[in-house]
Amino acid sequence: MLRRPQRASKLHQRVMNTNSLTQAPWHQTTVEPLEYHRKFLKENCRPDGRELGEFRTTTLNIGSITTADGSALVKLGNTTIICGIKGELAAPPADAPDKGYIVPNVDLPPLCSSRFRPGPPGEQAQAASQFIADVIENSEMLQREDLCIEKGKLSWVLYCDIICLDYDGNILDACIIALLASMKNVQLPEVHVNEQTGLAEVNMKKKRHLNIVKHPVAASFAVFDNSILIVDPTSDEENLSTGFITVVIDEEEKLCTVHKPGGTPLSNEKLQDCINRAITRNKEVCKLLNKVMKSMKAK
Amino acid sequence: MAGIELLSDQGYRVDGRKPNELRKIQARMGVFSQADGSAYIEQGNTKALAVVYGPHEIRGSRSKSQHDRAIINCQYSMATFSTGERKRRPHGDRKSSEMTLHLKQTFEAAILTQLYPRSQIDIYVQILQADGGNYSACVNAATLAVVDAGIPLRDYVCACSAGFVEDTPLVDLSHLEESAGGTQLSLAVLPKAEHLALIEMDSRLHQDHLESMMDAATQACKDLYAVLDRVVRDHLQEVTTSIGE
Repeated sequence: MLRRPQRASKLHQRVMNTNSLTQAPWHQTTVEPLEYHRKFLKENCRPDGRELGEFRTTTLNIGSITTADGSALVKLGNTTIICGIKGELAAPPADAPDKGYIVPNVDLPPLCSSRFRPGPPGEQAQAASQFIADVIENSEMLQREDLCIEKGKLSWVLYCDIICLDYDGNILDACIIALLASMKNVQLPEVHVNEQTGLAEVNMKKKRHLNIVKHPVAASFAVFDNSILIVDPTSDEENLSTGFITVVIDEEEKLCTVHKPGGTPLSNEKLQDCINRAITRNKEVCKLLNKVMKSMKAK
Repeated sequence: MAGIELLSDQGYRVDGRKPNELRKIQARMGVFSQADGSAYIEQGNTKALAVVYGPHEIRGSRSKSQHDRAIINCQYSMATFSTGERKRRPHGDRKSSEMTLHLKQTFEAAILTQLYPRSQIDIYVQILQADGGNYSACVNAATLAVVDAGIPLRDYVCACSAGFVEDTPLVDLSHLEESAGGTQLSLAVLPKAEHLALIEMDSRLHQDHLESMMDAATQACKDLYAVLDRVVRDHLQEVTTSIGE
């Protein structure tokens, strides 16, 4: 898989006080990590060579899991997320007989980082699952009515299982991209309910894509020292930051979710900055998504 | 046999392989940054991921600690979307627990655990797409991950499955061949010394046939060894040149 060679900016070298971009001395990174990060932030750059408002390289691979109805692998720097969607048939919910279900689930297994222990899903995984569910609900990325096959009798359940394979911060952004890309990839077979027998008949030869109407994209920011906003924090930066904010916005610049779990207070202007950055991020991601979808069609 | 013909009259299998032919293998080491060692392997349509953490201090209860060797902690899990039918539980069901135990036993036989007393080595494997030979893909991926983590091994552990159809042993079974319900043998060997690390067969087979099946599986493991060794050497080459720059 791709690993971006670190960029050696002049500024970066000056902070590192070296000629070439070598590994930072361990005493700086492990004993005084906060001081180490501050030294960079003072010069408006970050230890991995990025500017404050710069996302890590995003790579996208769609449809790599053939056993799933739709799948996508996303890499955001080192953070790696895979999403697989499988459709199942079920009776629609009693309170909405013309709708289907979308069930997202985020898994943070112990393999993605040493911070997670084997066992039942932790708080962070559950919170992420709920966050994704809220984004799906609020963004109206697809009409849940589309998932209904026969009113009150049969509808689709889309199980969206998102697994983190490598945890290096900012999983929410990566999860949303993975979810969106695999939703675009989903192909469901045509199903009819036979009126005489009342049984579902599945026509595997005729498959159709889902109608994705909105493209929500998340942008996350970490607040450093109560004032400096940095975009797309790595795991180290997440641990050292004093606050965190995620903005989800769709391509029509409509906000879907603004999520700020406690931390340092944020001024209105800063929030506006975040939203502006999220708008440009949405354009970047949609461009990438279209590019990958196009290259898939070309094959 | 009812249903599909697993071995044609011309001696070819359903996917066009010869009886002793492995599926295409693609592997990569060092795929993740957080882990101490990681590897990804594709054997045909089976895709597995292995990650190694450690050796590190024992987590959880200290009573598990061994004064003369490291303990090995494994977890096998299958992604819910890895199979045709969605899996309800990715890990913790009986089949996965059995697999976890097998992996642990296999690697206890291969890792030089006595070098790391009072410590723990975690091996996590994840099946992303299942198409038969899950155990062997996991073992092979885990071997590469352990090598990537720099943990000393007695030898590579290579695993392969074998079946028996119409008096012919088939190696590296696909899901279709596994589910046809014939005999299936899983074998993990340390190929240089031809030591068996794990062998498991769970159906009826005349004892006369066992030897031919074992021979075929052992040979397949040796073929696998050549492939894995190539992967390790290529990886090493890649890493050393990138350091040299």
